[in-house]
Amino acid sequence: MDQHKILLVEDNADDVELTLHAFRASRVANEVVVMRDGETALDYLFGTGAYAGRDVRDLPALVLLDLKLPGIGGIEVLRALRARPETRRVPVVVLTTSDETTDVGGCYDLGVNSYIRKPVAFDAFNDVVNQLGLYWLVTNTPPPQ
Amino acid sequence: MDQVELAAPEGVRTVEPPARRPHRGIGVRLLAAIVLFSSAVTLVLTALELYVDYRTDLGVIQRRLDDVEASYLSSLTGSLWTLDTDQIRRQLEGILRLPDMQHLEVREVGRPEGRGVIVSVGIHATESVIVRDYPMVFTELDGRAQSIGVLHVEATLSGVYARLFDRTMLILAGQGVKTFLVALFILFIVHRLVTRHLVGIAGFLHRFDPRSAVAPLTLARAERRHEDELDRMAEAFNAMATRLEELYRELAGLNAELEWDIAARQQAEAEVTRLNAELEQRVRQRTAELEAANKELDAFTYSVSHDLRAPLRRIEGFGRILGGEYADRLDDRGRHFLERIRAGSNEMAEMIDSFLKLSRSTRSELTIDSVDLSALAGSVIARLREREPDRAVSVAVAPGMVVQGDRRLLDAVLENLLGNAWKYTRNTEGAAIRFDTEVSSGCTVYAIRDNGAGFDMAYADRLFLPFSRLHRPEEFEGTGIGLATVVRILARHGGRIRAEGAVGRGATFRFTLWEGSANHGPA
Repeated sequence: MDQHKILLVEDNADDVELTLHAFRASRVANEVVVMRDGETALDYLFGTGAYAGRDVRDLPALVLLDLKLPGIGGIEVLRALRARPETRRVPVVVLTTSDETTDVGGCYDLGVNSYIRKPVAFDAFNDVVNQLGLYWLVTNTPPPQ
Repeated sequence: MDQVELAAPEGVRTVEPPARRPHRGIGVRLLAAIVLFSSAVTLVLTALELYVDYRTDLGVIQRRLDDVEASYLSSLTGSLWTLDTDQIRRQLEGILRLPDMQHLEVREVGRPEGRGVIVSVGIHATESVIVRDYPMVFTELDGRAQSIGVLHVEATLSGVYARLFDRTMLILAGQGVKTFLVALFILFIVHRLVTRHLVGIAGFLHRFDPRSAVAPLTLARAERRHEDELDRMAEAFNAMATRLEELYRELAGLNAELEWDIAARQQAEAEVTRLNAELEQRVRQRTAELEAANKELDAFTYSVSHDLRAPLRRIEGFGRILGGEYADRLDDRGRHFLERIRAGSNEMAEMIDSFLKLSRSTRSELTIDSVDLSALAGSVIARLREREPDRAVSVAVAPGMVVQGDRRLLDAVLENLLGNAWKYTRNTEGAAIRFDTEVSSGCTVYAIRDNGAGFDMAYADRLFLPFSRLHRPEEFEGTGIGLATVVRILARHGGRIRAEGAVGRGATFRFTLWEGSANHGPA
């Protein structure tokens, strides 16, 4: 069980690349698992579908979740995560461009750990990713096994 | 005609008869007139007749007196000569027995007073008598004539008068009776021929009412071969009644038409009022809808602009990575391209910002100024060429198109329209864009044509709807907000836009500014 895996749920390849680049730039060495849509992400977490047989106890230390996803939306993914006892405690940070109050409120209602709007400026985005890695992987005490 | 009296059925019009004078029939007056005139004529004629009778009677008496002179004068003269008074008396009495003789006297003349012989018979009268004095002349044998006396004869006129009186009475009585009878007869005839019909006609006229059919006037008398004045009058009345009825019907018809017209007009007015109210209601509704749509558009614009930033952020991000980590591996040409990319993304960021501003400043004040569209189009084209220097597009912009407007907004209009033309001629060989003016019904129309991809006219309306696109992003990129923005900007400049095109044969966008305003400037 690798405590330090990061699950990145993001449909846009460019955004994935930029995020990974920012992690690298922040010297975050953790493995980043990328899921391009909500369904695959849930399959990965619950060991179903394409990830049938995966050890579901191998939970990521942090889930970075985009809300605007093709198919199952980010909010649904969050709801499903919080509905299952084994994934209930996984730290989830919503990282999205949406700043609609319904989205923000809905995410907090579902027990999101943090809600971050992607900054437009590249430097600011790098800073955010850097802080995320530092806080959730170093500063924060993860949930017990 | 100041006023048209409407004959309402309930408003029966009553004609007040003129104040009645005491009635006196024509018959009575006719009778009086006939009696009066007849009496006058009778009196005159009777007087004439009596006068003639009187003269005749007088003539008879005169002749009788002449007879007396002729028959008795010489014998009386002889008797006087002989002074035979008895003989004279007898002779005088004989004369007196003649009709109308009143008094006779023989008086001897030539003797002293009181000694002459005087023989008189009858009663001397002073009035109503004819007096004659005949000289009694005795002719002697030797032929000498000697006046010896006077025969005085008085003939009375009382007989004449009595006869005259009797005749007068008779004539008057006869004439009176005759006149009365004739008058009565005439009265009867007049009544039978005229008066009773007049009464009938008067009754008919009283009963006559043009609103209801009244039986025609008929005179209560037997059919005649020749018509008289009354028949003609009845005919004339009937003709008049018919005409009156016709006129009344016509008038009633006209009144009905008029009432119908008035009702129709009132209905039309009510309809107009209703339509106005409806129109106002619709205007309010549309205004509310429009406001809602504007708000929605603002929201959409904001949201979409926001989403547009995501790819822009990627461009910037990769550009920064490239410019930072790979700068030493790029040659000058590479760095130039990188610079162009970042310039383009900056421009786009600016445009997105301007969209955001536009959506937020729908109600902001326009800054109206003189704007040279030709020059503005030139700079827009220059920007387009700069973005895609490899494109070979022939652009023709008519010079001197100067208008009144908001420079920033009109720039956005041309940026959109020329940008579209530029964009949709991408796959066209010999791409050409033309921007010039036309004059349509006295109004300057600005036209931007291209020979690019064009569009299906069936979807022309959807062109101008926000976020509505006729092309897939794979074919031609775009947000679908450009033409919607153009419509809004042109609307704020009192103008309109319409598009014309065909698939594969290019598109033409024609727009106007300050439509209906004479000086092509803001009112």
